[in-house]
Amino acid sequence: MKTFSIGGVHPDDKKISAGSNIEVLPIPKTVYISMAQHLGGPAKAIVAPGDKVKTGQVIGEPTGFISAYVHSSVTGTVKSVGLRKDLAGIQVVHVEIETEPDEWAEGIDTSDTLVTDIPQDRQFIIDRIKNNGVVGLGGATFPTHVKLCPPPDKKAECLILNGAECEPYLTSDYRIMLEKTRQIVIGAALMKKVLGVQKTVIGIEENKPEAIKAMTAAVAELQKISQDYNGIEVQTLKKKYPQGGEKQLIDAVMHRQVKSMGLPIDVGAVVQNVATSLAVYDAVQKNMPLISNTLTVTGDCLPADRQKNYLFRIGYPLSYIAEYNGGVPAEAAKAVSGGPMMGKAIANLDAATLKGSSSILYMTQEQTARKPESNCIRCGKCAEACPMGLEPFLLNKLARNGMMEDLEANAVQDCIECGCCLYSCPANIPLLDVIRVAKGEVIRAMRARTAPKK
Amino acid sequence: MTTTIIWTIAIITILGVVLAVVLYLVAKKFKVEEDPRIDEVEKVMPGANCGGCGFAGCRAFAQSCVEAMNLDSNYCPVGGNDVMKKVAAVLGLEVKEKAPMVAVVRCNGTCANRPKTNEYDGYQSCKVKAALYSGDTGCFYGCLGCGDCVAACQFGAISMDPETGLPVVDEEKCTACGACVKACPRRVIELRNKGPKGRRVFVSCVNMEKGAVARKSCKVACIGCGKCEKACPFGAIKVEHNLAYIDFEKCRLCRKCVVECPTGAIHDVNFPTPPVKPAPKPAAPAQTVTPAPKPAETAAPAAEKPVAPVKETEHKVEPEKKSEE
Repeated sequence: MKTFSIGGVHPDDKKISAGSNIEVLPIPKTVYISMAQHLGGPAKAIVAPGDKVKTGQVIGEPTGFISAYVHSSVTGTVKSVGLRKDLAGIQVVHVEIETEPDEWAEGIDTSDTLVTDIPQDRQFIIDRIKNNGVVGLGGATFPTHVKLCPPPDKKAECLILNGAECEPYLTSDYRIMLEKTRQIVIGAALMKKVLGVQKTVIGIEENKPEAIKAMTAAVAELQKISQDYNGIEVQTLKKKYPQGGEKQLIDAVMHRQVKSMGLPIDVGAVVQNVATSLAVYDAVQKNMPLISNTLTVTGDCLPADRQKNYLFRIGYPLSYIAEYNGGVPAEAAKAVSGGPMMGKAIANLDAATLKGSSSILYMTQEQTARKPESNCIRCGKCAEACPMGLEPFLLNKLARNGMMEDLEANAVQDCIECGCCLYSCPANIPLLDVIRVAKGEVIRAMRARTAPKK
Repeated sequence: MTTTIIWTIAIITILGVVLAVVLYLVAKKFKVEEDPRIDEVEKVMPGANCGGCGFAGCRAFAQSCVEAMNLDSNYCPVGGNDVMKKVAAVLGLEVKEKAPMVAVVRCNGTCANRPKTNEYDGYQSCKVKAALYSGDTGCFYGCLGCGDCVAACQFGAISMDPETGLPVVDEEKCTACGACVKACPRRVIELRNKGPKGRRVFVSCVNMEKGAVARKSCKVACIGCGKCEKACPFGAIKVEHNLAYIDFEKCRLCRKCVVECPTGAIHDVNFPTPPVKPAPKPAAPAQTVTPAPKPAETAAPAAEKPVAPVKETEHKVEPEKKSEE
């Protein structure tokens, strides 16, 4: 069974909410749609207070090459356009909309019928993806249309669909692979068409046998219908964190390594998440903008009947979802958006959901409390665990002494912030915390150095 | 047996003498000519090697002083004017006297003034905390309270007050080297003129949010109302980005702004008496808003206490001066 070659750790996968079907959340009274839902320039709001908006209508326009459209997820009246705190407490422009019963914008197909015909016009597919604001839903929310248009001197050879979901607890990708199986495969075929590649691999970790079975069956079924689905295959991957990391997945599937500061396209790979594939299907086949996604509400301190997977629309406040789920459990000391390894702690539960929101994970005091830090004994566990082949113990030392040049020479900029080093450190040294700050500084210095040359 | 010992001693001695001569000749031939004044200047330096002057250490500073035409761009913040005078004497140059500086913490977001909105239990470092999120209070700009400045200070001049959660600068120990200013990711700490007898006035807030938002997150935030700007007779105060800033070069310590500030964000330190509202002239500001200045009078002295504990004693020592004013 395939997996990536360097490093990695094996946290307990704790997929407690795996058995719960996706439930549709009712629309709250007010939604707050953030204009910064993607990597790159935040969208510019094009609505004003008092405007009536329909579900699926554009309310934010991109502000650069790497940027994306933002659509209204509800029908209603715009109450305000202004700053509101996101989950980290940072002020971001949000459009506040008071909701009314749904009235969809024109041209959107809201029916359930499956559209299996793949449009042959490449540009049509890209335009639909771009105009419907599709961004990568694997975590980084990079605009999908940009990723699907590699520079002309680089040729894509293989599309990899990321169904690894290697983070513990999260089950939203697993659920869509079971419930929206064929849509995901069609989405993959659409992206395959755009890229002009022959091969598409859907990588799923071994701990999701039902998903592997369902996806394999759906691929076989669709391959009977049309030639467009040829070349798509499902590959079982050995369970290891961080398999879902772009570079790790390429290593696992293609046995190719992306070099330092390089992009996957350099080795002929394009990686997309399964949730992105579903969004691509909706955008192209149904002309449905990206206004909803699946979110897991889970945690060890949550009773079994409240472990849920919800279909939410962007802009629902996290507190509304928590409330609908029955409130924040008393033992929860911390709520995390995302997985326990890479997720962000929610400092402000009133923050609105974004396109890329994937979970509300409750952690108890015992799980989240930091243990006292002691001295590095140079056991090398962090270096063994690092999937990028870095030496976290060294980077930690260099960062604490502010040795920027040495940090760069030791490739701190390649850190993917997966947290394997911190997870494996027996001395409880906050390796990732220190390295992440140093990485930011080094990358800023590198950009500053190259900027004037251009 | 004895011959072996004698021979050994003799050979080693001869070898030593020969090598010594070689070393002497080499040292003569390749001697690096260094200005002897560098050593002399280095001798009068404080020897803290703190880097506050902008050079790698005291010797690097001395070298730069010797090479420089004048001493205008060189200043040792630790040694201050005394050391600079000595340096000037060694080099036969003139030196302009600089006003002594001190690190000033421009945040009064104590636990009472600035309630916490969440609990931070990550790595205790301001730099890390600032990179992660907006902080554990509603204020995105103020002190994060993990003590990076305390760790950066080589002179033990900063300590965290456990009660307020804010750093306190010991004026006696502070050398104004600026290490804490660089260490603070939120740029809360600033080097300001120490002022005559340590008296100075400053805005103890760096929040650039609009008034209502700033006030909501912290009771003693500067709301950018501009009252101080109007009250200042010397044009020392500028309100930019909803935040007042007092130019210490222009400030004459009249303390009209301290009385005027509706939130008590402007602090006066080391004055023997609390600021008094000018009795004969209140008609002018009173025409705008009458109720606002009243709470200010009580708020201002109450707020300044935790930041400047040095001053408390002075208040008590000279209570009779109040009546004079």
